[in-house]
Amino acid sequence: MSLLETVHLKKYFGDTHAVDDVNLTIEEGEFISLVGPNGAGKTSFCNVVSAYYSADSGKIIFQGEDVSNASVTQRVKAGIARSFQLVNLFDDLTAFDNVALAIFSREGKTRNIAALARRDSEVTREADAVLNQFGLAGKRNELARGLAQGERKLLDVALAYALRPKLVFLDEPTSGVSTRDKGQIMDTIASVVRGEGITAVVVEHDMDVVFKYSDRIVVMHQGAILAQGTPAEIRKNEQVAMILIGSSGPDAFSRKD
Amino acid sequence: MTIFIIQLLNSFFYAAVLFLIAAGLSLIYGVMRIVNLAHGSLYALGAYVSAWVVGGTVGHAASGTLGLAGLLLLLPVGAVAVAVVGAVIEPTLLRPLYRRPEEYHLLITFGLLMILEDAMKFLFGGTPLTAGSIMDHMGSIPIGRLLYPTYNLFVIAIGLIAALGLWWIIYRTKFGVILRATSQDRRMAAALGLNVSRVYVQAFAIGCFMAGLGGAVVVPAQAAVLGMGIEALILAFVVVVIGGLGSLEGALVGALIVGLVRTAGIQFFPEIELAVLYLIAMAVLLIRPTGLFGRA
Repeated sequence: MSLLETVHLKKYFGDTHAVDDVNLTIEEGEFISLVGPNGAGKTSFCNVVSAYYSADSGKIIFQGEDVSNASVTQRVKAGIARSFQLVNLFDDLTAFDNVALAIFSREGKTRNIAALARRDSEVTREADAVLNQFGLAGKRNELARGLAQGERKLLDVALAYALRPKLVFLDEPTSGVSTRDKGQIMDTIASVVRGEGITAVVVEHDMDVVFKYSDRIVVMHQGAILAQGTPAEIRKNEQVAMILIGSSGPDAFSRKD
Repeated sequence: MTIFIIQLLNSFFYAAVLFLIAAGLSLIYGVMRIVNLAHGSLYALGAYVSAWVVGGTVGHAASGTLGLAGLLLLLPVGAVAVAVVGAVIEPTLLRPLYRRPEEYHLLITFGLLMILEDAMKFLFGGTPLTAGSIMDHMGSIPIGRLLYPTYNLFVIAIGLIAALGLWWIIYRTKFGVILRATSQDRRMAAALGLNVSRVYVQAFAIGCFMAGLGGAVVVPAQAAVLGMGIEALILAFVVVVIGGLGSLEGALVGALIVGLVRTAGIQFFPEIELAVLYLIAMAVLLIRPTGLFGRA
């Protein structure tokens, strides 16, 4: 059984076919990159699968169950989490509290008054462990608004990770950070995701990053899947090269910008 | 000197009650971004219910068996009743309107104010109700050569405990983290899988409880009368305008300022006592439009 399967998934905004008849199957443990030019529908696809947009038609099957009509909260509980292109953090809370929130959410025990007193050593230990995994232990007590862009990106991923998802969508986890930080952020994400056996779908523009970390690359264009395959296969695909960087030829992807 | 101390205590007493009301108003605004015009009436409802219970047959029975302790145990009944009313109002009347513009929030809470005022007139009639037996039981303590009602000190203590308790809940508990997160961004909190609807009911009920508690602690000293809610609402607004809507520290400092100015006003410039309060609120609005502790 595949982890996630989308069947004829569609989402139109007026004349724009944001997600146009997408049939994608994702297996457990895969590290998938979703690439394509701006407006190809990558973020829209993530939004539909994580329930931020409702699909116009089609089905979303997660672990064999139809979750097409499930709310964001229900999908989070089922094991689908995501991070955002524009970092979504609780700016007035500390890094620690941000992570703790994700853990609280997962536990879902907020009804129990006795559990509301916070000195819960298990949550504290787990939140500290997560911060440590993402190299943010030193920033534990700093407000999220005071963190550097790269740290904010990592904290955003850490929040999604703390939900202990089976499938995580990371929407441009390295956008807006320096090239030097990019590698470090991706290394951290890849080691955590692979170490925990989490399935990840990463939206990414930097093809160097994409080729280096992905098991499989899915190329979207005008809302539809144009091609998919291993990094080696995609590297050879001239049509993909045309669409992504507007040039073809054997060296199309090694061009640095 | 004695007069000065007594006036200071009077302002603290007044500030304690105002803080209870304004903190609830501020909490509700901070979390739900709703300016609850019915807040004063919820305070009045708490006052009426507490006075009715303590001054009625239940109160006589409790006072007969347990004395003062029995009466003090009954006093918070008003606050609990208002919290229950709040827990019903939020999901039924307010929740459908969160996505609408603010005018709708004002309309529905103003309508609620009218309904509550009439309901109280209908239920409790025009006669003032008091829980004065508590005040009598507690007696007085000498300050200098004068006597001061012990109950007023009790109310000041309740105000302090409420301030510390709220601070602890908001900044030191798991519920507080969830509350602050929800108030910063409800969409994101929902995205994280937090149950925003539940947080809203809880926050609204706590805000109502605070208002009801304000009413409950007032009735042993002053009778519950029709119209007390409107007066309280206006003063609570002065408090949050000065302190900053949505800020707990602001509610505390604002309540202290209004308490001190009002007491001084009654003593030294009774003719313009309320005008001075509004002038202070105006000055704050001109210099710091978000209030002393508010954020833009």
